[in-house]
Amino acid sequence: MRFPFWWRKRRNEELSEEIQGHLELAARENMESGLAPRDAQTAARHEFGSIALAEEVTRDMWGGRWFEDLLQDVRYSLRVLRKSPSFTAVAVLTLALGIGANTAIFSLVDCLVLRPLHIKRPGEVVYLTAARKGNVPGTPVSYPEFTDIQKQTANVFSDLSAVGMFASDGLTVDGETQSMWPCFVAGDFFDVVGIQPALGRLIRPSEGSIPGADPVVVLSYAYWQSRFNHDPGVIGKKASMNGVPVTIIGVVPAGFHGFSSLMDFQGYIPLGMAAALKDVPKDFFASRDNRAIGLVASLRADVTLQQAQAALNVVARRLSQQYPTTDGRMSLRVLHLGPSSMVFDPTHPETLSFVSAAFLLLAASVLVVACLNIANLFLVRAVARQREMAMRAALGATRTRLVRQLLTESLLLALFGCGAGLVLGLGGSRAFRSIPLHTSFPIILDFRFDWRVFAYALAAAVLTGVLVGIVPALRTARGDINEILHEGGRTSTAGGYRLRSALVSAQVGGALMLLIVAGLFVRSLEKAQHTNLGFDPNHVLNLTIDPHEAGYNEAQAREFFSTVLDRTRSLPGVQSASLAASVPMAYGGGSGAELKIDGYQPPKAQGTPAAGYNAVSSGYFGTMRIVLLRGRAIRDSDSQSSQHVAVIDQTMAERYWRGQDPIGRHFSTKDDPSHPIEVIGIAKNAVENTIFSPDQPFFYVSFSQFYQPTATFQLRSTAGPEALAPEVTGLIRSLEPAMPVFDVQPMTTALDTLNGFLLFRLAATLAASLGILGLILAVVGVYGVISYAASQRTHEIGIRLAMGAQRLQILKMIFGQGLLVIGAGVLAGILAATVMARLVDNLLFGVSPGDPLTYVTASALLAIIALFGCYIPARRAMRVDPMVALRYD
Amino acid sequence: MTSAKEKYQNRTEILQGTLDMLILQVLHWGPRHGYALSKVIRTNSGEILKVDTGSLYPALHRLERKGWIAAEWKASELGPRLRIYRLTKSGRKQLVVERSRWAQLTEAIEGILNPARQESES
Repeated sequence: MRFPFWWRKRRNEELSEEIQGHLELAARENMESGLAPRDAQTAARHEFGSIALAEEVTRDMWGGRWFEDLLQDVRYSLRVLRKSPSFTAVAVLTLALGIGANTAIFSLVDCLVLRPLHIKRPGEVVYLTAARKGNVPGTPVSYPEFTDIQKQTANVFSDLSAVGMFASDGLTVDGETQSMWPCFVAGDFFDVVGIQPALGRLIRPSEGSIPGADPVVVLSYAYWQSRFNHDPGVIGKKASMNGVPVTIIGVVPAGFHGFSSLMDFQGYIPLGMAAALKDVPKDFFASRDNRAIGLVASLRADVTLQQAQAALNVVARRLSQQYPTTDGRMSLRVLHLGPSSMVFDPTHPETLSFVSAAFLLLAASVLVVACLNIANLFLVRAVARQREMAMRAALGATRTRLVRQLLTESLLLALFGCGAGLVLGLGGSRAFRSIPLHTSFPIILDFRFDWRVFAYALAAAVLTGVLVGIVPALRTARGDINEILHEGGRTSTAGGYRLRSALVSAQVGGALMLLIVAGLFVRSLEKAQHTNLGFDPNHVLNLTIDPHEAGYNEAQAREFFSTVLDRTRSLPGVQSASLAASVPMAYGGGSGAELKIDGYQPPKAQGTPAAGYNAVSSGYFGTMRIVLLRGRAIRDSDSQSSQHVAVIDQTMAERYWRGQDPIGRHFSTKDDPSHPIEVIGIAKNAVENTIFSPDQPFFYVSFSQFYQPTATFQLRSTAGPEALAPEVTGLIRSLEPAMPVFDVQPMTTALDTLNGFLLFRLAATLAASLGILGLILAVVGVYGVISYAASQRTHEIGIRLAMGAQRLQILKMIFGQGLLVIGAGVLAGILAATVMARLVDNLLFGVSPGDPLTYVTASALLAIIALFGCYIPARRAMRVDPMVALRYD
Repeated sequence: MTSAKEKYQNRTEILQGTLDMLILQVLHWGPRHGYALSKVIRTNSGEILKVDTGSLYPALHRLERKGWIAAEWKASELGPRLRIYRLTKSGRKQLVVERSRWAQLTEAIEGILNPARQESES
């Protein structure tokens, strides 16, 4: 279709010229038949009829008329909107708040759930989770299991690869050591993800299967950029990692973050190198139950997920039969690989989608409240514009045309709101991005606005524009022209008022629902923070070191740890100090082990006994203020050579030694059955691994006996823990200048993690922001409609006053009107909240979805603020001067 | 509400079938501008058919859009430029179609107006 402006403009001019020619010829003929020039022209024009009409009908024949109409509507609408700037501003701002809240939340969802990974065929890449007898599903697999699965699934997977993450390593280049979080890969990892190197080469499928072989490292683009400043000369460079010589062979393309878009792996190393770089058990590559790797695969072109699952079921059954002791009752599950599927709980891949949906629903409620607000404004304006519409209809505008123009108006407003909303949303998502995660673990929260966010905002805006505009437009266009044009200035608005009151009630209801849900989340955060942690995080400073990154071997590292511990204990301001393999609620989630307990027979339904554990030094219980109920704590004398010992917690004592005295009894871990561990003490329960599973059995072993290359020091200070930081880091640096020190932060900060309070805080903050937005919008709505109603009744109020009504009665009358609207809204809100709260029940901690305190507080808060919104117009109505009011209109 | 515009449009509709045919037929005799076209129709019909200009130009522009006629600006000795229409190849084909349709129509109407002849023939 041709409709550029210049084309139409020229066609218009030509049409005029053509008709002009026609008239000219006709006039000339008239003159030839004897008429005076002037009469000849008049006659020609008379004969022709309406030129404008002929032109307009002709123009219709060109096509593209709708476009011209649209332009006209847009121009007219812009003029109308400009003429009522306050209306436009309020509407745009309201919409911007609604759409802004939605885009901000959507950008979060986009990042966590929707955005495909930076890999070649995201739809064909899957990951596998394994479960075994009695074991929690979603556990990783062992290396022999990986190779078995790889061999037996070649018919469904074109490539299968193993990935492992351990901890950060120290990469020394040109004498300078910096920490790096690598991903260990085996098999066809780079074929699975289908990427080409940005520089050099990638790890080959043949590399990674032999322990200690293939000392190569591939850098992430960002790491190469920030540490080596895009220097291509780094390729082929001899470097060392944790003191082991390696060669840098390549750089992955920008934007590639491995198998998750949330974790920013800084490098890729063949899995076999873990034997040289990491403190992995000696039988890591041979033992079937040393499980630490995840599986990523790409489906063959013609294989569906269901077919792959069927093939895996066969493999799992075969392995269970072949290795009943280690792989008994094994099951394998295949799932599509999403941006965060391997970071969050893989056994419930739908959890994240569910949380996302819940928050999108809350954000959508804010938009609905905003829409109701604007619909109300439109209705009020529709009444005021009845005469204008009637006039335009009388001048020949068809009803469709009027509705179209009004819709154009609301859509334009919505688009403006969308633009402003995107700006607000961008601010919101920036705020999310700046949420401190309190870890050196490289997590990227990349809430950038991609096309999905824009599409979402636009869709929301268009939907809003149509929904908000359609009812007032239809109502306006329905009006009887004659009646309106002949009626006086005062229009009957009883029906309109009822509709508007209903809208305000709905608004109050929506806002109350948001407030109640927000209240529940805030209460749940409060509950989580006031959980009895079993330890005292206040006045404790954490700091983590990994001597292996500085090239230390185990003996040197042990020496270094004990030296640092001794020296810090004598620092002024340090009350006590200890070190532990992991920090409570850390990102790794702490360690866990399957156990063999002497004299304990697990009930049939239960699986192998298991417990979480931490390896700690002497002084740990004192520094953390974990109460020791019986027996003794871990001591320095519990060394490598002495009997392995453990302090167990109450849950463990009750579960595995019910009715007995655990002290002096023995158990061992499945990983190391040759070292029986003797129970030497019982500690009060403490939240060590994660706040989400408080009743997990837990035990503490001696750090010397369960050596870990990375350890975190805890220093209990007499004053503020931050004050100790420079002194302690200085001490470590003076002992070893190349030692990387990280996560130097108070324990209270360290608890603000994904396993700790972070999610609760995030949920509470988001929900509270949405609730407050809803509240503001609702109050504006109540105020608007009540004050409009009151102003419409000025005349009536004047008469009432003149007839002797008391001013207080007027106040009551207007107030009563508001009370009714708000009361209905509160009821609707409580109902909506019970439904919504049940939906988010799983996300709450220690608060029931029907928590009466939250419901009552939120309802009262909303009602009081909304009633105040009524009070202002009511008071104004009360003060009406009867004389002025009667002269009104 | 019947506006003046609608009245014109109605008339266009009534005339549409025949007007198109008449325009195509006249242009078949040679290129002409709008005014000449209306004059030919008027005089050739013995002043009975008077083409309404409110229908003529929309019809011309519609036929042009369909590609049956083509237009060209030509300077005239009279003063203003004139838009001269001529029949295109597909317009010629369309004329045959319209004429045969018209023949059918008149035959059918004839059949209704003089039923006796029809019966006697059958």
